[in-house]
Amino acid sequence: MNRTLKKFLRKPLNIISIVLIILIVILAIFPSRFTPHNPYSMDYDAFLEGPSLKHIFGTDQFGRDIFSRCLYGLQKSVIIAFSSILLASSIGTILGLIAGYYGGLWDLIIMRICDGFFAFPSLILALFIVALFGSNLLNLIIAIGVVYVPIFARTVRGAALSVRESLFVKASKVIGKSSLKIMFSDVLLNLSSVMIVTFTTNLSTAFLTEASLGFLGLSVPPPEPTLGGLVGQGTAFLISAPWIALFPGFVIAVVVLTLNILGDGLRDVLDPKNK
Amino acid sequence: MSFSYLLRRVITSVPTVFFVVFVVFIAIHLVPGDVVDMMLGTQNYLTQEQINQLYRQYGLDKPLIVQFGVWLKNLFTLDFGTSLRTGKKVIDLIFDRFPVTLELSILSMVFASAIGIPLGIVAAIKKDSFVDGLVRVVGLIGLSSPSFWVGAILIVIFSGTFKGFNIFGFVHIHEDFLRNLQVMFLPALTLGLMLAAQIMRMARSSMLDVLQQEYIRTAKAKGVSYSKLIGKHALKNALIPIVTLSGIQLGYLLAGTIVIENMFALPGLGRLLLQAVNERDYPVIQFVVMFIAMLIVILNILVDFIYTLIDPRVELK
Amino acid sequence: MKKFLVVLLAMLSVVVLFAQKSGGRLVIAMETEPVGLDPHLVTAFASHRVLENIYDGLMRYGENMKLVPNIAEEAQAVDPYTIVFKIREGVRFHDGTPLTVEDVLFSFQRILNPDTKSPAAAYYQDVESIKAIGDNKIEFKLKKPMASALLPNFAGVNSSIVSKKSLESGKNLQLETNGTGPFYLAEYVQGNYMILKKNPYYFVKDQPYLDEIKIVFMPEEVSRVAALRNGDVDIAKINEPLNLKQFPEGRFKVYRSPVLSYYLIGINTTRKPLNDPKVRNALNYAINREAIIKVVAFSEGVVTGPLNPAVQPWALQPKDFEEYKYNPAKAKELLTQAGYPNGFEFEIVTSQRYNFDKVAEVIQAQLAEIGVKVKINLVEWGIFIKRWRESDFDAFISMNSGSIEPDIQFYRTFRTGGSTNVFLYSNPRVDELLELGRSTVDVMKRKEVYDELQRILVKESPIIFLYSANQIFVSNTSIEGFKLLPNESLVFLRETYKK
Repeated sequence: MNRTLKKFLRKPLNIISIVLIILIVILAIFPSRFTPHNPYSMDYDAFLEGPSLKHIFGTDQFGRDIFSRCLYGLQKSVIIAFSSILLASSIGTILGLIAGYYGGLWDLIIMRICDGFFAFPSLILALFIVALFGSNLLNLIIAIGVVYVPIFARTVRGAALSVRESLFVKASKVIGKSSLKIMFSDVLLNLSSVMIVTFTTNLSTAFLTEASLGFLGLSVPPPEPTLGGLVGQGTAFLISAPWIALFPGFVIAVVVLTLNILGDGLRDVLDPKNK
Repeated sequence: MSFSYLLRRVITSVPTVFFVVFVVFIAIHLVPGDVVDMMLGTQNYLTQEQINQLYRQYGLDKPLIVQFGVWLKNLFTLDFGTSLRTGKKVIDLIFDRFPVTLELSILSMVFASAIGIPLGIVAAIKKDSFVDGLVRVVGLIGLSSPSFWVGAILIVIFSGTFKGFNIFGFVHIHEDFLRNLQVMFLPALTLGLMLAAQIMRMARSSMLDVLQQEYIRTAKAKGVSYSKLIGKHALKNALIPIVTLSGIQLGYLLAGTIVIENMFALPGLGRLLLQAVNERDYPVIQFVVMFIAMLIVILNILVDFIYTLIDPRVELK
Repeated sequence: MKKFLVVLLAMLSVVVLFAQKSGGRLVIAMETEPVGLDPHLVTAFASHRVLENIYDGLMRYGENMKLVPNIAEEAQAVDPYTIVFKIREGVRFHDGTPLTVEDVLFSFQRILNPDTKSPAAAYYQDVESIKAIGDNKIEFKLKKPMASALLPNFAGVNSSIVSKKSLESGKNLQLETNGTGPFYLAEYVQGNYMILKKNPYYFVKDQPYLDEIKIVFMPEEVSRVAALRNGDVDIAKINEPLNLKQFPEGRFKVYRSPVLSYYLIGINTTRKPLNDPKVRNALNYAINREAIIKVVAFSEGVVTGPLNPAVQPWALQPKDFEEYKYNPAKAKELLTQAGYPNGFEFEIVTSQRYNFDKVAEVIQAQLAEIGVKVKINLVEWGIFIKRWRESDFDAFISMNSGSIEPDIQFYRTFRTGGSTNVFLYSNPRVDELLELGRSTVDVMKRKEVYDELQRILVKESPIIFLYSANQIFVSNTSIEGFKLLPNESLVFLRETYKK
């Protein structure tokens, strides 16, 4: 493990991404420490001001500080994206283990359902769930998470299949370890590196999906800010007051970029093919 | 690809498509607000008796399972439904709108490949150099930026700088070739940038894989010229995963063009679906979803087939 | 002498040529698309905008919302229970067939037929009989003496005259049109554009001036702004006044006009604590309407009472109501008197259209200052409509279309059990006044009725009337003759021309 970590840290790009991730996480957990203004209070005399010393990112049409709203939006978006991928990976792993290890009918049913979700445009699925059940935090996490379950299920299933056949497992069976135990310890161990990469890569996509939902007005309702929602609201003013949409969009891009660099770096280091 | 394999793939895809369509059917009928509500809006001008009449007329008074069954039955008689809100036949709507989305998707792929493949190959050849790092970061920026954001910015820049360049006002390619290319340029570029990043990464990584292969190293040791090496051997094998990715991307594209079609006022399938969902136009939603699902399934099979053409070693049983 | 005459003629023809305002193709961008083309059925905003140029009714609105005869040459309220229209001669449908009194009769029979399910049927429920008199007159007999109150309804798109022959031959008006208006529908590519062409048989001489109108559908505001700037469209509606900065004078023209439709907070008068009129009344004082207009509409709007302040002679002015004076302290005091010294909580349901959500946000912030906590429930439009219909809300924020006629403005909305009375409001005196207003003919007496009604409505606030936003259009400098109307109609496209 230490060897991989050292290899990982040798690339300057990876170091930068780790630093940025830590920064993003700190900002997301403690937005109030960094926000100079209350993100909800409207200042009728200061609306639509461009970036200034007082308002780094400018103000929106209600006079609210965009920088503060970006930070709070970052928190919301991070929570939603992270939780949804966590949910997806948990459920997906369980489904994939069942499908891969037990095979047969379980495999068929689970995989067909996953195919169905694959064939389904993810944004529309999320749209449906949100429209059906409302756009509170929990529903959004479920709506986005559901879409990513198949990816995790597929990956875990593949690994489970190969492990099942391996000599190692057959030996364990002979020794008398229970199937469940084998599944968890052996399969999951082999999977860890793939899981980490999949987790990170899909985390960035989930972030973008939440942004798209926010753009369409289906994320957390006002006055709660979300990054995608900020871009959506700002697009109508893009020509006259571009800062409203530009900065939140930029924040989205930076977060997703960082996650992607991290994912790439991890894959380079953990993927056995690249050794 | 053997015929029996093809047949099997097609048959096993049917339940998948069915499942998708069924789930959508249930979901859209469960969402509060139906097509009659949309008609009445906040004017509320019909009596309950008239409303019930409308439900009967549209077949919405029957239990959901029956409604689904009726729709399926109509499918078999090639009756694909009529839009409840506009009265147009759904199949006509598909014929009008699908070519637009298809063109957008193909053009986006062209842009994406034209940008992504050369950059990826260059990055692979010059691995770990400054050029490699630069290309990768730029590529990742493309992958990370939300397409609606990029699209809006492009619209603002182009409309301000290049007056006279037609951004809006879609015409079909056979109606006015030049104008069509103009109005498709920005939306295809927007989507293409996002995909280019993925293709670039894939090209780079698969090129890297190939370059490390035994037979390449052997050829190099034997003294085969570098450019011939890249050109003939490496490239062909590197293309395989790219083709696979393109197939998958095309599928996502077809379904995911909603926001871009809206912003660039393109009369495509994504926008049709969004409108239909907003208006609860059930027949349109049903058929468009089924159409897209079928397309994606067919594309996946097609991609696998092309795979066999490129790499004769791969055999689909 | 001959030479002089020739020169004179030449000069005259040059003058005539310049004076002629004909020809040209106008490209207009619209935010939404028409949903259906049958004038007796359509409710969508875009459908109305398009059809009002393809079809005609017996009456129409002229400049400054003056009601003028259209297909009718003359409209006479013979007595309060009777209206007689004299039908114009020489009107032709787009397919060439002449319009007769039969078509007028047929159109209204179709509207009133419950199987048609026309939105206009509700307006004519107090019509007792419709009769043709001779071959060019039609008589409406009413159950109530409301002839002048009924007249504006004849100007609506839903009351257009359609061709009896077309319908009887099986034409589906949702898909094809056959009207008498200044333009006919030449091409309709759904999702993309619509082409209207000049009707050469239009009964108003010389009109329309334009040869062709192309309507392009562009849902996003940023697209419409960009399209105006790079010349892809000639004229478009701008929703965000802030974007006007992009259209410098000299290169663009800006058209503004106040509108009749108004933003409102609708309240379910059966839910605690909003069921107490004193509580609803108190909320008025905590709402700073001017601030809402400033922030949401960039000052492009006017505060409105139960009637738009410009509607004369009926409207009471907002400044004459105590409740319209912003006074949060008084609001808190009144709430305490009503039994809520620490405020209370309630939910506002709204949708992300026309800035409803922004209005909600401002009101949320304003009410928070008097201790009233508002939870905003932002739902998709279809879900909103469902909840609206079933009165499944504490309060909602939406927009109502307004009228110059108080009966049309108030009747269905505030009558006990009225079809748009989703507030479940019931006040016997209000019911009395509504019936009285409908049946009173003398203008002075009628004004007294509606004055009292407006005062009660503000005092009890089943609706808190907020404001009307101006409508704004921008065009390039080649467009002339375009005018706006407060009912947001585009009928003046028939007088528009391109230089």
